[in-house]
Amino acid sequence: MVLVLALGDLHIPHRAHDLPAKFKSMLVPGKIQHIICTGNLCIKEVHDYLKTLCPDLHITRGEYDEETKYPETKTLTIGQFKLGLCHGHQVIPWGDLDSLAMLQRQLDVDILITGHTHQFTAYKHEGGVVINPGSATGAYSSITYEVNPSFVLMDIDGLRVVVYVYELIDGEVKVDKIDFKKTSSTHPAH
Amino acid sequence: MIADGIEDEEKWLAEGIAGIQHNAFYMHRALDANNLREALKYSAHMLSELRTSKLSPHKYYDLYMRAFDELRRLEIFFKDESRHGVSIVDLYELVQHAGNILPRLYLLCTVGSVYIRSKEAPVRDVLKDLVEMCRGVQHPIRGLFLRSYLSQVSRDKLPDIGSEYEGDADSVMDSVEFVLQNFTEMNKLWVRLQHQGPGQIREKREKERNELRDLVGKNLHLLSQIEGVDLEMYKDTVLPRVLEQVVNCKDELAQFYLMECIIQVFPDEYHLQTLETLLGACPQLQPTVDIRTVLSQLMERLSNYAASSTDVLPEFLQVEAFTKLSSAIGRVIEAQVDMPIVGAIALQVSLLTFTLRVHPDRLDYVDQVLGACVKKLSDKPKLDDKRATKQVVALLSAPLDKYNDIVTALTLSNYPRVMDHLDNETNKVMAMVIIQSVMKNNTCISTADKVEVLFELIKGLIKDSDGTDLDEVKLITCDVDEEDFNEEQNSVARLIHMLHNNDPEEMVKIICTVKKHIMSGGPRRLPFTVPSLVFSALRLIRQLQGQDGDVVGEDVPATPKKIFQLLNETIEALSSVPSPELALRLYLQCAEAANDCDLEPVAYEFFTQAFVLYEEEIADSKAQVTAIHLIIGMLQRMNVFGVENRDTLTHKATGYSAKLLKKPDQCRAVYACSHLFWVDDQDGIKDGERVLLCLKRALRIANAAQQMANVTRGSSGPVTLFVEILNKYLYYFEKGNPHITSATIQGLLELINTEIQSPTSDAFFASTLRYIQFQKQKGGILGEKYDSIKVHWERQCTSAMTLLYNFFGFF
Amino acid sequence: MPSIVTGQPPPLQNPLLPLREIQRTSLEPRIREHLKIETVFHRCLCTDSGLIYNQHACNILITFADGKSRKQVPLKKENGQTVTVPLFQSQENIAGKITIEPMQGKKIDHNGVKVELLGQIEMYFDRGNFYDFTSLVRELDVPGEIYERKTYPFEFSTVEMPYETYNGVNVRLRYNFLKFTAMKFSAFAFFFGYKGGIVECKRLDAASCLFVPAALYVLKVTISRGYGGSIIEYQDFMVRNYTPPPPINNSIKMEVGIEDCLHIEFEYNKSKYHLKDVIIGKIYFLLVRIKIKNMDLEIRRRESTGSGTNTHVETETLAKFELMDGAPVRGESIPIRLFLSPYELTPTHRNINNKFSVKYFLNLVLVDEEDRRYFKQQEITMYRLQDETS
Repeated sequence: MVLVLALGDLHIPHRAHDLPAKFKSMLVPGKIQHIICTGNLCIKEVHDYLKTLCPDLHITRGEYDEETKYPETKTLTIGQFKLGLCHGHQVIPWGDLDSLAMLQRQLDVDILITGHTHQFTAYKHEGGVVINPGSATGAYSSITYEVNPSFVLMDIDGLRVVVYVYELIDGEVKVDKIDFKKTSSTHPAH
Repeated sequence: MIADGIEDEEKWLAEGIAGIQHNAFYMHRALDANNLREALKYSAHMLSELRTSKLSPHKYYDLYMRAFDELRRLEIFFKDESRHGVSIVDLYELVQHAGNILPRLYLLCTVGSVYIRSKEAPVRDVLKDLVEMCRGVQHPIRGLFLRSYLSQVSRDKLPDIGSEYEGDADSVMDSVEFVLQNFTEMNKLWVRLQHQGPGQIREKREKERNELRDLVGKNLHLLSQIEGVDLEMYKDTVLPRVLEQVVNCKDELAQFYLMECIIQVFPDEYHLQTLETLLGACPQLQPTVDIRTVLSQLMERLSNYAASSTDVLPEFLQVEAFTKLSSAIGRVIEAQVDMPIVGAIALQVSLLTFTLRVHPDRLDYVDQVLGACVKKLSDKPKLDDKRATKQVVALLSAPLDKYNDIVTALTLSNYPRVMDHLDNETNKVMAMVIIQSVMKNNTCISTADKVEVLFELIKGLIKDSDGTDLDEVKLITCDVDEEDFNEEQNSVARLIHMLHNNDPEEMVKIICTVKKHIMSGGPRRLPFTVPSLVFSALRLIRQLQGQDGDVVGEDVPATPKKIFQLLNETIEALSSVPSPELALRLYLQCAEAANDCDLEPVAYEFFTQAFVLYEEEIADSKAQVTAIHLIIGMLQRMNVFGVENRDTLTHKATGYSAKLLKKPDQCRAVYACSHLFWVDDQDGIKDGERVLLCLKRALRIANAAQQMANVTRGSSGPVTLFVEILNKYLYYFEKGNPHITSATIQGLLELINTEIQSPTSDAFFASTLRYIQFQKQKGGILGEKYDSIKVHWERQCTSAMTLLYNFFGFF
Repeated sequence: MPSIVTGQPPPLQNPLLPLREIQRTSLEPRIREHLKIETVFHRCLCTDSGLIYNQHACNILITFADGKSRKQVPLKKENGQTVTVPLFQSQENIAGKITIEPMQGKKIDHNGVKVELLGQIEMYFDRGNFYDFTSLVRELDVPGEIYERKTYPFEFSTVEMPYETYNGVNVRLRYNFLKFTAMKFSAFAFFFGYKGGIVECKRLDAASCLFVPAALYVLKVTISRGYGGSIIEYQDFMVRNYTPPPPINNSIKMEVGIEDCLHIEFEYNKSKYHLKDVIIGKIYFLLVRIKIKNMDLEIRRRESTGSGTNTHVETETLAKFELMDGAPVRGESIPIRLFLSPYELTPTHRNINNKFSVKYFLNLVLVDEEDRRYFKQQEITMYRLQDETS
């Protein structure tokens, strides 16, 4: 069992002052093996904080990030899965699933994680899975109204990945989960 | 030398002990034989060992304890008249025949103990006599131990309520008098030790004094144990007498220790009721006494007492505890002219701690304490003493910690005044503390007034202290640590999100207040603070959008339009930094917001501003790429523009896209522009032709890029761009762009095939082909569409050029 | 003879008198001019119960009428022995019986038997001077002969015995002196059958001599004979006179000191004390600029014999009572409580028959860290108070 935390679009300090307290208390160092961050942290403090949760931190650049050296895209393999990471402001139209699918094909990954819309989505298509963890702080978005703070925890186990989404709705943390399976190592799942 | 001294002392102690044991042996023999004369003789000899001057208190105690133990046996003998045949009265006289005073008095006290127990004489008389006669021993150490002995043998025989020695109404008073007198004399002796002894070094003397101090303190403990000492007696007699001695002895060590003793030993209710008296002594103490610790201890005890039960609180108010403490502290500070500022502030910190614990609801008290500090700090313009500064920070942090709510602290009028006296560095530190308090407690500051006060408090962070911009100061010599600075500004930025009110009017006021303050921050600060304010305002606009009601009243500030105006001014300030990339992003955000508010001109204006920045300020190629994508992405979503405006903006976007530095970037930007002509919305634009034009343009650029790669590297570059464009073709194909047919796609497929070794060598292409396959297999309309596309897995032999010609030939 | 300067009692009028600073006292040797032993041997002849070993032919026994009921008290004699003698007061009747019993088969011819009651002052040891201040005689028998036991009653009524027995004998020293003397005059010792038991002989050069006054009472029985010498028998008795508590008994209060150094005010509750009294008082420190180690109160007795230029003074410290241990500061008040009963005190004798005086002084001594002594001497009057137990 490999736990992967996916989050992004915190927009600290421009649009939010901090992660919600309830999230912070849940995110404890040592429990998570990898962190995948879509970008727009925006400052080093947030980077350092994420590092304390887990040293294996992967970030791509959001358009407001202070750090200019983050890559535009990133791919990594965890267990049997290939994961791709990109902030998403580069993919136009923003939030368009087909365009994102194209990126997924381009990166050749089973799971593509992007952000930018501040809206949680988990979409399965023939090419794989596209996950948007939303905004961990519930930051203002021009694209999405009524943003609820959210993040995603993936439990990768062999050929199966369980995606838990945590959302803060009206002060309560609500969890949902989605199962994905892939049939073989090379071909993405249905 | 000192080592020798210790060795000598050991030797003398051993000799003394031997002497005691020797004489005790004979004394026991005499006791066994019921021989009083002999017993007295040997006991006197034994006690003569205590006449030594050679031992330090620690070692003397050892000797004393041995004698003490022996005297207990003697006392048992004295008690039994049948053994020695002498009446207690006569025995009392008999022991006074001893020629040397120290043995004489030890024996007298021992007999006295028996005498009291026999009740043949009034207890008061015996006690009085004993305590008086002990005055003959004026040597500090010997006198202290003697009186300690007296105290020990008499303590269970003091007249008290419920004791067997209880006498008439005054008997408790007799006990008190006795103990008080013994205490007074013991203290005098103890203090005298400070000035005695030839050539003794100060530390050694103080060490000796400290070894003896409990002998003196025990008397106070004893007083507290006397049941009959009620509040009245404590108030009228005990405390005044004790304090009199404490003050008059004029000895720093004694005063400090005894004040602590008093505070620890007597009940808190007593302290509360005698607060004035107790505090009245404080200014009279020696200036070197650590009065702060004493008062802190007192206040700590009282705080604990207050916390123990709610019934107690009215008592505090009734005795006006706070007022008394406050004025006492004031008097102490006044009396000790040389007290350094750190001491004065530390005192106030203690008082504040007390106030926050006992009277947390009394903000006026808290403010009063702060006011006292302001007064004290007014002597100097700025604090330069590090320790004092630390105390001031503690002072200011205490209310924050207590109330967990900055808003309460904001009501304290003296709070900012205290902050003003801090040096710049500390002021900033304090400002950070305040901000952190807000963040930690998730405090929401909801009125513009409070925001104003808050920003006044943290003005050390908001702007430079002397009002000048940092620019004017040479940045090289600026002693601002970069990391700290960034942290500070980020904190301010975060703070802005804590300022909120659901009422739009108030919110606008808040925003204006914040804007006013951050505008004075100078170019170094604006990049941090402006975005927060902008988004705060955008949130407000969204909220107003939701409240789509009528505008009530004429002069209503809270309209989106007015806020956009504000925003415009705010973002414009970034030009002074300059921070064009950030400004561009913010303009785009505003544009979208204006779009959502249906304010076409405003949105157009924002886009224009963005383009201006793009044109004039953003020179870095990478930055341009991102910027243009942001513009395209944002523009794609705009639905407020009329055809003309849209066309203008689109034209600009595409134009700039094509002019990007690197060909691949150009390609990508151009095909991104294709989406400007196709909005997958009900009323969205769907200009298939122009879409295709974009794509074709992108293809041309891609081709050119490919050729360049051939030229420079001698081999063809990756086909990524082609595949990307292919994907876009597929996208529009699926969306139903009539200008994109399966043939078009087929052609592109062929093209790509020629460029690569095999269909599988490029993963992207392979997955794209898989996608096509997948879509084919889907069946239905989509399947039909895709049916006509043939995916060849073999490479075609047609030359690339032919294919291209054919491809372009279709048009 | 050089005399010991011990400090003069101050007149009460002068409040502040400097304490004299003196060197440690030492006994100064006195040189004796000549030794006279007559008195000694004279005394030595008296033994217990009047029995005497001599070559005379009879036993003389003197008994008192109320011998059984009368209080008997110890009396220390010059030879070191302590005898028990009856105790009388002035104005009492002294009566009893004198029994003369000739030795076996002997007969005593005499010119008369008398008994004398003598009160004597002895002043100078060496001169063996006796001054009879009281002399009463009773003729017991006319000349005749005694061949069998004969008992004569006697009575002296309402005898004026204004001075009480004062025995200033310093036995030890006298004893030592006796040893010396005995050695020198050993023939005498043997001759007189002196029962002294000289164990060792010591030479005492420049012997310490004490001018010791004494006032003693004795009954002397004399069987007068022309030749062979009279037969004399002595019986000591003790006289003690009691006085009532003095009607006026002021306290002694005085401020003394040394300028800028030490000022004290001492107070003794009375100026007249009886023999079992308690001295109660206090020492109050007004100024202390020296480092005091401790403070004692001494009781000193001064015997002065003679008058005018021949006055000889002998001082003895009878008691040394520690009042204070350690250094006081200004304002301290140190209590005094000194019980007189443990000490062998006698009443103050002033000018006994113009021959001698015995006076008592309280000597307050303060010793500083450098062992300097500061003192203040103050005379007190001792008297004998009637008491069942004394």
